Amino acid sequence: MMGKRRQRLRLVGLALAVAMVAAACGGGDEGGGGGQQAPAAQKGGVLRTATTSFGFTNGFDVTGEYLGSAFTLYGALVRTLVTYKHVAGAPGNELLPDLATEMPQPTDNGLTYTFKLKPNVKFAPPLDRAVTSKDIAYAFQRINTQPLAAQYGVYYFGVIEGMDGKAKSAATKVSGIETPDDQTIVFHLTKATGDFGFRLAMPATGAIPEEVASCHKKAGDYGRYLISSGPYMIQGSDQLDVSSCDAQKPISGFDPSKKLYLVRNPNYDQATDTTRTNYVDGIKIDVNTNLDDIFNKVEQGALDTSFTDDAPPTLLQRYATDATKKNLIHQNDGDRTWYITMNWATPPFDDLNVRKAVNQVMDKQGMLQAWGGTVAGEIATHIMPPAVLNDQLKADYNPYASEGNRGDEAKAKELMKQSKYDTDKDGVCDAKACSSLVMINRNVAPWTNMEPVVVSSLEKIGIKVKARELDSSAAYTTIQTVKNMIPIALNAGWGKDYPDAYSFAAPLFTKEAIIPTGNTNYGLVGLDQAKAGELGIKFPAGAQIPNVDADINGCQEKTDVNERVTCFVDVDKKLMETVVPWVPYLWNKVVVITNPSVTKYEFDQFSTEMSITEMAVSNKETLS
Amino acid sequence: MWRYIVRRLIWVVVVVLIITAFTYVIFFVMPPTDPAVQFAGKNPTPEQIAEVRRQFGLDKPVLAQYGLFLKHIFTGDDYGWPGLGFSFVTRSPVKDLLFDRIWVTVQLAIGAAFVWLCIGIPVGIISAIKRGSLLDRSSMLLALFFVSAPVFWLGLMALWLFWYKLHISPGTGYVPITQNFGSWLNHMIMPWIVLALLYAAFYARMTRGNLIETMGQDYIRTARVKGLPEWKVILKHGVRASLTPVVTLIGLDLGALLGGAVITETIFNLQGIGQWAVNSVFQGDLPAVLAVTVIVALAVTLMNLIVDVVYAYLDPRVRYT
Repeated sequence: MMGKRRQRLRLVGLALAVAMVAAACGGGDEGGGGGQQAPAAQKGGVLRTATTSFGFTNGFDVTGEYLGSAFTLYGALVRTLVTYKHVAGAPGNELLPDLATEMPQPTDNGLTYTFKLKPNVKFAPPLDRAVTSKDIAYAFQRINTQPLAAQYGVYYFGVIEGMDGKAKSAATKVSGIETPDDQTIVFHLTKATGDFGFRLAMPATGAIPEEVASCHKKAGDYGRYLISSGPYMIQGSDQLDVSSCDAQKPISGFDPSKKLYLVRNPNYDQATDTTRTNYVDGIKIDVNTNLDDIFNKVEQGALDTSFTDDAPPTLLQRYATDATKKNLIHQNDGDRTWYITMNWATPPFDDLNVRKAVNQVMDKQGMLQAWGGTVAGEIATHIMPPAVLNDQLKADYNPYASEGNRGDEAKAKELMKQSKYDTDKDGVCDAKACSSLVMINRNVAPWTNMEPVVVSSLEKIGIKVKARELDSSAAYTTIQTVKNMIPIALNAGWGKDYPDAYSFAAPLFTKEAIIPTGNTNYGLVGLDQAKAGELGIKFPAGAQIPNVDADINGCQEKTDVNERVTCFVDVDKKLMETVVPWVPYLWNKVVVITNPSVTKYEFDQFSTEMSITEMAVSNKETLS
Repeated sequence: MWRYIVRRLIWVVVVVLIITAFTYVIFFVMPPTDPAVQFAGKNPTPEQIAEVRRQFGLDKPVLAQYGLFLKHIFTGDDYGWPGLGFSFVTRSPVKDLLFDRIWVTVQLAIGAAFVWLCIGIPVGIISAIKRGSLLDRSSMLLALFFVSAPVFWLGLMALWLFWYKLHISPGTGYVPITQNFGSWLNHMIMPWIVLALLYAAFYARMTRGNLIETMGQDYIRTARVKGLPEWKVILKHGVRASLTPVVTLIGLDLGALLGGAVITETIFNLQGIGQWAVNSVFQGDLPAVLAVTVIVALAVTLMNLIVDVVYAYLDPRVRYT
C-alpha cells in the first residue's frame, strides 16, 4: 500500500519535472529559446566530451560495429559511396553522394548500380594514397567474410550476387561487384532492392584499405587500426607502421576503455565533400565512469557536452527551469519505438482479441510519465516512427485510441469478451492462462517506473503478470531465446538502421527473422507448425498466426520512394490491426545538454547521436 | 619457516583454482547473458552467432573451456604469459588491460593504506592514552562519523566541495606518475583520503581498544615499576603488543582493496581493477571477469600468507606449523 503511494508520488514528481522540461524544450530541438545568445559558429577548437563507456559491439571495427555512437564517429572517419548531410530531421535522412560523383540511377530493372568515384579523395596518413573503387569492393569482401562477423551483413547477403557471408577470407572477391577501373564500381543485385542506396550509406561499406585491414582477420580487430578517409583521423594514425602486419601497433589516440581522440586528416579535401562542415579541429572523448562528474564538467565548462550518456533527470529539470540554461537542452527525434512484446506462441496471446485488448487497455500516458514525460518522446500509436515513413503515418493514426491515452477499459473488455479466454464474457480473462504470466523487464528506471502502470492496466482485463527484472543484456538475451517462451516483455525497443521502413519490418516481423537465439521477432509473427518444430517449441493448438512476409517483400521490391512508403504504411496498419504483435508506447527523443561553449549544436539524424562534424565550439584548445 | 611458506603457497594455488572454478560455473555454465548473442549484433543470423561463439571459444564443452583457461594461465596464450585471453568488449588482450589497471589500483590501495595508518594509529594511541578526555571523545566521535559515512557520499561531497566549489582539486581522472608527478599527486590525494577515512576510523577505534586493554596488563605495570619512562612503556611495550591484530587487519584490507575499491574508483574515474570488474560483469566480458577473479583471489590469499608470516615474527608465541 505504502509502496504504491510512494510510486504514485514519484510519478507525480516525474510528471512535474517532465512538464517543466518539455515546456523548456518547446517544440523540438534546436535548443529552445531564451537564455544566452550563442556566438556565431566558427572553425577551430576541440569538441571536448566524455562518456561513461563506449560500449562498442565490435571493438569499433567498422565492418561489424553496430552502435549509433560509433556511426556518428564513422561519419567523420569513413566515407561511403553515398551518405547523409549529418543534420537533424528530414534533411538528415536524404541520401547524397559522398565518394560517388553523383547518385546513380539503377539499370537492368533495378539490378545494377554503377558508381563513379571522385578522384581526389585520399586516405589519411600513413597511407596518403587515393581511395579507389577497390577499397570499396574490399569493404564488401570483409562484410562477406564469416570470421569478421559483419553485424548487419544481412542487408547484403543474398542481395548482392555472390554475397552469402560465408567466405573464409576477406581476400575472396565478391562476384557481384566489379571494379573495371579505379574510379568505377558496379554492383549486380540478385533482386530489385528499393532501399539499396540506404544500405550503401552504412559505415561498413565505406572505403577500407586492404594493405592495413588484411592484417586483422578476426571480428573487431581492425577498430584500433582504422585508416580514415574522412575529414578527421584517429590521433596518432600517422604514426602507424604499415610496413608489415607485425609492425602494426594500435593507434595511440584510441583506447577502448579510456579515450578516443580525433584530429583533422591532413589529406582531406573539403572541395570533395558537400555533406560535412567540420568546424572543430579535434574531438576528444574521454571515458569517465562518474556520470554526475561528466555533467558537472559540462556545466562548469571543462567539457562541451556529454557523448551518448543521458543527463540525470534532476539535472534536466534544473536546466529546464533556469532561464539562462534552458537553451542548452537539445531534443531530437530518436527514430526508435519502445514497445511491449506479446508472444503469439504463448497463451493467452495466441488470441488476437487478447492482444487487441491489451493495446486498448494500456495507460500509455502513465507510461510516458514514468519515462520522464514528453522530454523522453511522444506516445507511439503504431509500429514505425513517423520519420521512417516520411511522415505519411503519424500519431493521429491510433487504432486503439483512448481519452488522454489513458487506456479505455470498457472497449478493452469488449475485446476481451470476444476471446476464448473469457468464458463468462464479463470482459475479464478468467482462464488459467491469464494468471502468473512471466513478464520480463529491465531492472533500472524508467522501465521499473513504468512497470506498475503496465501491471495495473493488465489487471483491468484479468491478466496477472509476475515481473522479472533483469539487467539490460540479460533481459534481451532472455526474450531473444525462443525456447524461453516469454509471454510478455517490457524491455524491448528498436531503432532504425537507416531511414527506410524495411529496417523495421524485416528483422521484426518476417518468418525468416525467427531464429533460436538472438531472435528479434519477439511476437513470433509468421510462426507455423514446421518452424515451431525446427525451433523445438510447441505450436499453440488451433492458433492462426498471421504471416506478413509477402507484404514486406512486396514493399521491398518497390523502388519508387512514394510507392514504397505507402506500401509500408499499409504494412504498419495491417500489423497494428490484424497481427498486433506489440503494444508500441513510445517514440523516443534524444536529449543532449551542452555548455555555452558549444556555439552550434547539430544532431545527426542517421546515427541519432550528436553530429560531430557539424558542431562548433568557442574554446581555443588544440589536440597535438 | 620455508617449508611452512611453500606449503601455504600450494594452498594459495588450490584456493585460487577453487575460486576460478566457482566463477566459471557462475558465469559460463549459468550465464545471465549469452555473450555470443550479445556481441553478434542487433539482428544476427544463426551463422554469425555461431561464428562469434567459436571466436570466443564458447563452442567447446564447458570443462574443455575451463581446462584451456587453466592451461593458458600456466603456459600462456597467443598474447603471452599469463594467458588470460582477449576481452570480448575491447577486443584486446586481457593481460594488457589487467596490468594497465592493476597499477592504478595498487597506487590507490597503498596510498590510502599509508594515509589511514598515518591517521588511524596515532589517533587511536592518543585516544587510548588520553582516555575520557575531550580529545578522545571528539576523535572517537569523528571516527564514528567516518565509519558511518558511505564512501560514495564522502567522495561526491569531496568532489563537490574541493573541485566544484573551491576549485582547489583537479577533479576526477588519473594522470600517470611518469607523465607529471605533481598532477598525479593532485589527482590521487582526494581518492586516497576519501578511501582512507573509513579505514582510518576503524583502525583508530581498534588501536584505542587494543591499547587500553594492553595497558591494563601485568607486564605494563611491571615495566612502569622498573622505572621505564612512560613513553617507552607505551610505545615499546603497549603499542607493539596492541598492534599485532592491526597487522592481520591491514593484510586482509589491502588484499581486498587490491581487488579494487569499486566505489572510489568509479567516483574518481580511476580506471582500476574494481571498476573494470563491475563493468565487465554488466557487459558480459567474461574473460575480464575471470582475470579479475584470479587477481583478487591471489591478492587475498597471498596477503593472508604474508600476514601469517609477519604475525608469527611479531608474536613469538605463534609458531610456523
